Amino acid sequence: MRRAVFYVVLGLAAVAFLYPFLWMAATTFKSPAEVGGLSLIPDQPTLENYRLMWARAPFGRALINSLFVATTITVSVLVFGSAAAYALARLRFPGRGILNTVTVAVLLVPAQLTLIPTYTLIVELGWIDSYAALIAPYVFNAMAILILRQFFLQVPRSLMDSARLDGMGELRILFTVFWPLAKAPLATVGILTFMGAWNEVLWPLLVVRDEQLMTLPQLLTVFSLGGGAGPRQLAPKLAAAMVLVVPVVAAYTFLQRYFIESMASTGIKG
Amino acid sequence: MANVAFKRVRKDFGTTTVVQDFDLHVADGELVVLVGGSGCGKSTILRMLAGLESVTSGTVHIGEREVTHLPPRERDVAMVFQDYALYPHFTARENISLGLRLRKVPKAEIDRRVRWAAEILELEPFLDRKPKQMSGGQRQRIAMGRAMVREPAVFLFDEPLSNLDAALRGQMRHEIARMQRRIGTTTLYVTHDQMEAMTLGDRLVVLDGGRILQVGRPIDVYRAPANRFVAGFIGTPPMNFLDGRLERDLDGLVFVSDALQIPLAAKRSLDTAVESREAVTLGVRPENLALADASGPVTLRGQLVLAEVLGATTHLHVDVGGRPLIAAVPSGPAPAPGAAVALSVDPRWLHVFAADGSSLLPDSRDP
Repeated sequence: MRRAVFYVVLGLAAVAFLYPFLWMAATTFKSPAEVGGLSLIPDQPTLENYRLMWARAPFGRALINSLFVATTITVSVLVFGSAAAYALARLRFPGRGILNTVTVAVLLVPAQLTLIPTYTLIVELGWIDSYAALIAPYVFNAMAILILRQFFLQVPRSLMDSARLDGMGELRILFTVFWPLAKAPLATVGILTFMGAWNEVLWPLLVVRDEQLMTLPQLLTVFSLGGGAGPRQLAPKLAAAMVLVVPVVAAYTFLQRYFIESMASTGIKG
Repeated sequence: MANVAFKRVRKDFGTTTVVQDFDLHVADGELVVLVGGSGCGKSTILRMLAGLESVTSGTVHIGEREVTHLPPRERDVAMVFQDYALYPHFTARENISLGLRLRKVPKAEIDRRVRWAAEILELEPFLDRKPKQMSGGQRQRIAMGRAMVREPAVFLFDEPLSNLDAALRGQMRHEIARMQRRIGTTTLYVTHDQMEAMTLGDRLVVLDGGRILQVGRPIDVYRAPANRFVAGFIGTPPMNFLDGRLERDLDGLVFVSDALQIPLAAKRSLDTAVESREAVTLGVRPENLALADASGPVTLRGQLVLAEVLGATTHLHVDVGGRPLIAAVPSGPAPAPGAAVALSVDPRWLHVFAADGSSLLPDSRDP
C-alpha cells in the first residue's frame, strides 16, 4: 500500500516535469490550426515546422557550430583540467598551496564580473566573429580542476609509484592510470561542461554577429526575437528548441550511469 | 643482478630527519630484511632506493652505477607494495606485462616471461581476471609476477604481506623465499613482522629513529642483540627486562635487584659496570626461563597471574616481587593462576645492558 502511494506521488511528479517537454515535442509536429491546444498527439502530424525553421535561418550550420564549440570546450576542460588537477593533487612543487587557493578563489568570482574585461580582451585580440572568441574563454574551468583534484587525491600513492617504476611518465600516468579510474568524475565534469557550453547564449550574442558562426541557442534567440510573435510562429520556434535539447538529452541518457555514480560519490550538484 | 650500497644517506622531510647516517652494503643475490617499528624510516629507505623519494644527502648505488638522482624507471628496480598497487582496469596478464610493453620488449619475449612468472607463482588460471575478481593472496602474487617479469637488478618489497590474513601470510612468506632463492635477485624487504624478519632474510637490519641499530644474520641478532631496543624488538613474546646492579661474590658475579639475586658468569666486558656500580638492565628471554622444582636451584619466586596455552608452548605471566615476567615453557600440567611458582634462569643466555642501552655482553653467544 505504501509502495503504491509512493509510485503515485512519483508518477505525478514525473508528469509535472515531463508534460511541458512532451507538449513542446508534440507541438512541433502539429499543423498551425492545432498549435496552442493541450493535446499531446497531433491529429495530422507534419514536419512542416522543421522545414520552415530550417529554411528561415541556418540552423544546420548553427548545430554544427554548437557541436564543434561545445565539444572543443569539453575536451579541453577535461584534458587541461585533469592535468592541472593531477599536478595540484600529486606533484610536489613550490607554490602548489597558493595555486590551490587561487583555484578555489576563482570560483568566488561571478561570471558577470569578468564578462566586460573578457569582451575587451577578445576585441583587442581581434577575435570578434571567430570560433576562438567562442571557445578560448572556456578552455579552463576551476570547478573541473577542483572536482578532479578531489578524486585524484583518493587514488592510492602506491599506484602512482608502481606506474613510475613500470616506466611511465607523468602524462602517461594521468591518461592511462588516472583517467580509467576517474570515469565517473570525468563524465560529470564532461556533462556539466558540455551543457554549460551548449546552452550559453549571452557570450555568443556579444562576440558573434556573423550568422554563419552563430551557435544554436544564439540563433534560436535571434530567430525568436526577430521572427515576430503569434501562435503561427510558435511551432517553428519550438522545433528549433527541440534541435537544441535533443543532443543534450541523448548525451545524458548515454552517460547517466557515470553521472549518477559520480553525483552519489562526490556530492556535487549540477 | 647487482649489489646495492647506501653511503651516508640522510633524508629530511622539512625539519624532521627520518633517516640519517645510513650505510648499508647488500651483496649480489642477498635478501636483506629491514625491520623496525612505525616511523623508523624503513619504507623511506626503500623508496629512496626506488627513486620514489629524493635523497637529502649521501649516495645510493646499484651495481656499478650511482643512481642517487636517477628517475625510478632508469634504476632497474621492481617493487611490490603492501596494497598490491595493481591497475584495477587491467587484467592480471596486462598488469604483469605492462612494464615490459612500455619498455618495448618484443611480444614473444613478453609472453615467455609472463608464462615463466605465472608458472612459478601458480597464476595461470587467473591471468585473464581483473584484480577485483581475485583474492588478496592472488593479487599479491600478481604484484610479485609484475616485479619478476621485469627481471630487475633489485627487488623491493614494502610490507607485502601486511594486508593478508595470518594463514595466507605464512604461505606467501614461504613463496617469496622460494621465488627469491630460485631466481636469485638481490632483494630488500621491509617489514614490521617478527616472523618475516627472522625467517626470510639472509641478513637483518634493525632500525629505529632512522638509524641502524644492528645488522646481522637473524639468529645472531636474536642471540646477541646489540642493545636493549633490538633485544626488546626481536623475539615474541618480548625479552623480560629487570633493572638493578652487578656485584661481585665468591663464585663470580651476581645481578641484584632489591631482594632478587641472579648469578652470572664473570666477563671482562662487565668489569666497568661492576666497579662503577652503575645501573644495568638484565635481559632474559621467556624461553630461557623454566618452571623449577621448589627443591632445586631456584632463582625466582613469584605468583602466576595468567597462563596462555598456545599449544606446544604455554606463556606463563608471573609476578616476581611486583615485576611482570613472561616465561615460555612446554605445555603440560600448569599451576593454576594465583599459585606460587618457581622459575629457574638459564645463565648462559642472560643479557646485560648498560644505562645507555648498549649490550655489555655483545659477543658471548656462541652455542
